[in-house]
Amino acid sequence: MAVEILTVDDTYQFGLVAKYLARDDRSPRHDYGQLTGDPRAAILEAWRFPWVDAWFDPDDTAQRFNAVTFVHAADNGQPGASVQIIGSFGELHTPISLVPLADTHYSTLTLKIPKGEVHVYRMRIDGVWQIDPINPQRVALDNGAIWSRMFTWGATQRLSLERWEARLLERLASHILPFQTTDGKTFFSRVHNAQGPANRPPHAYRLDETIGAVNFIDKLLAREEAHHLIDYRICLELIDQLLRARNPVTEPARLPREMIIELYTQMGSGNVPGWNYGRYGNPRYFLQLLRRHTLTGAFSHPRYGGNAMALGWKYLEERYRDATGATLFDWARAIEPPLGRSPAYRG
Amino acid sequence: MDTFDVIIIGSGAGGAPIARQLALAGKSVLVLDKGPLLRTQAEHPLGVSDFKRDELFATGAEKRLTLTGIANQNEAFYSSHVEPDLNDEPHIYEGADGLDRATIEGYTAQLVGGGTQLYGAVSLRFSDLDFRLASFNSNRGDLVNDPNNDVKRYARDWPISYADLEPYYSEAERLIGINGTRANQGKAFSIDNYQTPYPPNPISAYVEVGMDALGMPRYRTPLAVITQDHAPSGRVMPPGSEPAKTAYVNRYGDPLGLKSNTWVALLRPLMALPNFTLRANCVVTHLEASGDKISKLVYRDAAGRAIEVAGTLVVVACSAIESVRLLKLSAERDPAFGARIDGNNLLGRYFLTHCFGGAEAIMPGRFDKSVSLDSDWATDACASADFIQANGVWAGGAIYNNTSDQALPISLARTHGSQDLDTIWKSFIDDTGLTGDALNSFFDDNFGTRLSVSFIANQVPLPTNRIELHPTIRDKWGRRVAHIRKIWHSHDIHLMNVFAEQCRRVLAFGGDGGVGNYQVNEFGAIYSAENARARIANHILGGARFGTDPADSVLDPNCRAWNFDNLFVTDGSFMPTAGGANPTLTIQANALRVADHLLTRL
Repeated sequence: MAVEILTVDDTYQFGLVAKYLARDDRSPRHDYGQLTGDPRAAILEAWRFPWVDAWFDPDDTAQRFNAVTFVHAADNGQPGASVQIIGSFGELHTPISLVPLADTHYSTLTLKIPKGEVHVYRMRIDGVWQIDPINPQRVALDNGAIWSRMFTWGATQRLSLERWEARLLERLASHILPFQTTDGKTFFSRVHNAQGPANRPPHAYRLDETIGAVNFIDKLLAREEAHHLIDYRICLELIDQLLRARNPVTEPARLPREMIIELYTQMGSGNVPGWNYGRYGNPRYFLQLLRRHTLTGAFSHPRYGGNAMALGWKYLEERYRDATGATLFDWARAIEPPLGRSPAYRG
Repeated sequence: MDTFDVIIIGSGAGGAPIARQLALAGKSVLVLDKGPLLRTQAEHPLGVSDFKRDELFATGAEKRLTLTGIANQNEAFYSSHVEPDLNDEPHIYEGADGLDRATIEGYTAQLVGGGTQLYGAVSLRFSDLDFRLASFNSNRGDLVNDPNNDVKRYARDWPISYADLEPYYSEAERLIGINGTRANQGKAFSIDNYQTPYPPNPISAYVEVGMDALGMPRYRTPLAVITQDHAPSGRVMPPGSEPAKTAYVNRYGDPLGLKSNTWVALLRPLMALPNFTLRANCVVTHLEASGDKISKLVYRDAAGRAIEVAGTLVVVACSAIESVRLLKLSAERDPAFGARIDGNNLLGRYFLTHCFGGAEAIMPGRFDKSVSLDSDWATDACASADFIQANGVWAGGAIYNNTSDQALPISLARTHGSQDLDTIWKSFIDDTGLTGDALNSFFDDNFGTRLSVSFIANQVPLPTNRIELHPTIRDKWGRRVAHIRKIWHSHDIHLMNVFAEQCRRVLAFGGDGGVGNYQVNEFGAIYSAENARARIANHILGGARFGTDPADSVLDPNCRAWNFDNLFVTDGSFMPTAGGANPTLTIQANALRVADHLLTRL
């Protein structure tokens, strides 16, 4: 089915490009290790491209779509480039043209793409098919071809982590969050039973563990903090080896809580018996990183892939009530429907 | 080359009021802003706003400093979606160890509306005394910790009085759209243009009790947020009960346009005028002069192309640090320009921020702080001459409570133990024991229980506190960046201790029904922070002070550069002293005053 092209104005599109792309200096100012040797390191926050934004449809109470804006900036700084795009979001045999932005060397295209999806695409720039020169995300297809990749809000398909890495990370993150406690388990049991099978969250979110925080981290490592993917790669492997050495019988992802907490205590002190310091010198740093990411994932807006069904917020909403039973964290009041109940704010 | 009656660089508090007045008078006006035009959902083609109620918009993903030659290279930083990137356009400050570091402090925001898009919206007037601190202190011998009489040497009266500015305060309050109460303010009002404030958040009752017990007359903090339809800007309240009350206020743009930033309040209503032009995403690289006339401005547009424009009058209002930098960059290209703008070697000197700090405590009970604006109660008790003299300080200040801080779970964590932008997340990250049960306890102890009371007070002006161009570090356009060199004076430290104690007492008396024994362990001020020299509170003032003596000031009383006929500077850099309150309303009122003068020039 043909993808719908949305009409936006120049003001919107200029707001997406100027701060990030316009510059004289082409040195790799924005390489924190994730773009070494890549000309994209000159672009500020290249991960923002293509831009994935909200789109409000007054007739769609579920608000199922994002507005995704693809951008091309001609290398020569001159207008007139011919740019088309094909992608899995539309018909692969029908390229769609990007449109020149006013009289500049930018071309743009805004498409209506469902939330929760991952897509690959390529651009034809002046007749040559290639990956997006701005977006750093790319993926090798089964035939070996390299395509650019993008995903919309709330996507749950694993992008950065291997399956075993995600499983181990679930275990690690679950003991950072407050839900593996007695109070947390009580809350989740009630939520699970109250909602009935039809309303339970997707399988990707394991309610009694991390409410999507691992999915959040997986997406963060694919975009905003791709420079930390290497930390996870190395440390998850080291932790896996270390836990297997400490308990050869049980899978690391199934180890008892006490062993994970002991590991955290050791990592916090910087002294972890059995840790391979030659490969990663600072286990405390990884714990710090993991804690920041996990907490952010559990309590940020669900559009980022964590805080599934706003369960992080709902946990606090239920936990903190006054003597009359009224909540002391009425988060839904300010948040857009259908997640929240603001009569004015659309998200 | 396009020409205009007036070109205004910067669309925030110092620029937008002038644009409004001149455009409505039929003059051709061009406003240039470095940042984008981000819109409310009512005017947006996607039906949603560019601003979101989303904690990751206020403080985003981790980035790392890649600049060479700074002591904090490779350290993490976190910025909002509208603050400049520190690798593209850093501010560099000189630390106490003599080493340079990049800082996110001291930026307001780069978008149409400037800092008024992100600020907490506290809109206090300065006191009558704030305008005449040199006179007030001229015969005093009781100032604590001022061994070299620096106050007498460096304080300057403003060339205008409170009475001169009062009509413009009133007009700014009307045009901007501010809620608050007038009774109990220590300033004279000719008219009350405030909208009715919302009921306070219940946690602020502790502040009521504390201030009352201490005999501090209190009033509802004036906030630039509309609570009712606002005719001057054409804004209408959306559906819902108290729709502006959310925790997404301070450091957030408002998707509904209820926060009275200068875009929705002043500029948006002009867009239908044929004589008004707004060019967003355009960074002015330098000014050029011919004799005493600014002959043209050169800017880079959104595509990076150099464009020239000319104006009969030119107004620079891009926040004090960046305005000083722009003038110095222009002077660097043309010695004659330099001789005119900085012939007395004062440009960039007497850079100011505020003495600020306060007290914070976990109060009895728990409250939903996510249903609030940024502040509920304020007092001028510490701005009176009696208070100032009784405490051996040179100037007064305002005290008010913060209601919306730490009201959301991520903001609670990332500001745990660190309340400035350079050290955000740091304490939480370092507190590696906060996992599982301990994290539950952390939320139990802190979520909806913490209350803070803050002060904003005058800093002693010093010629050595200054903005320069950094010798080596350049922005993405190859221009030298701002270099901030400042210290806290020993009298500032005394003053901050005095005010922090007042804030502590408000909570100590508020927390136990007026007895004064409630335990308040966290109180102090920014001079003791790890990055104390960088701390600016985004109150960026001074550096191009106005005055009556061309040898002693950069600008004349109308904010015109002394040796240029058509160059005016109207952001906070014009201030010779910083005032005992948040500065935005005073910048707006002064801009309205300058606009009246500019109309006599066109």
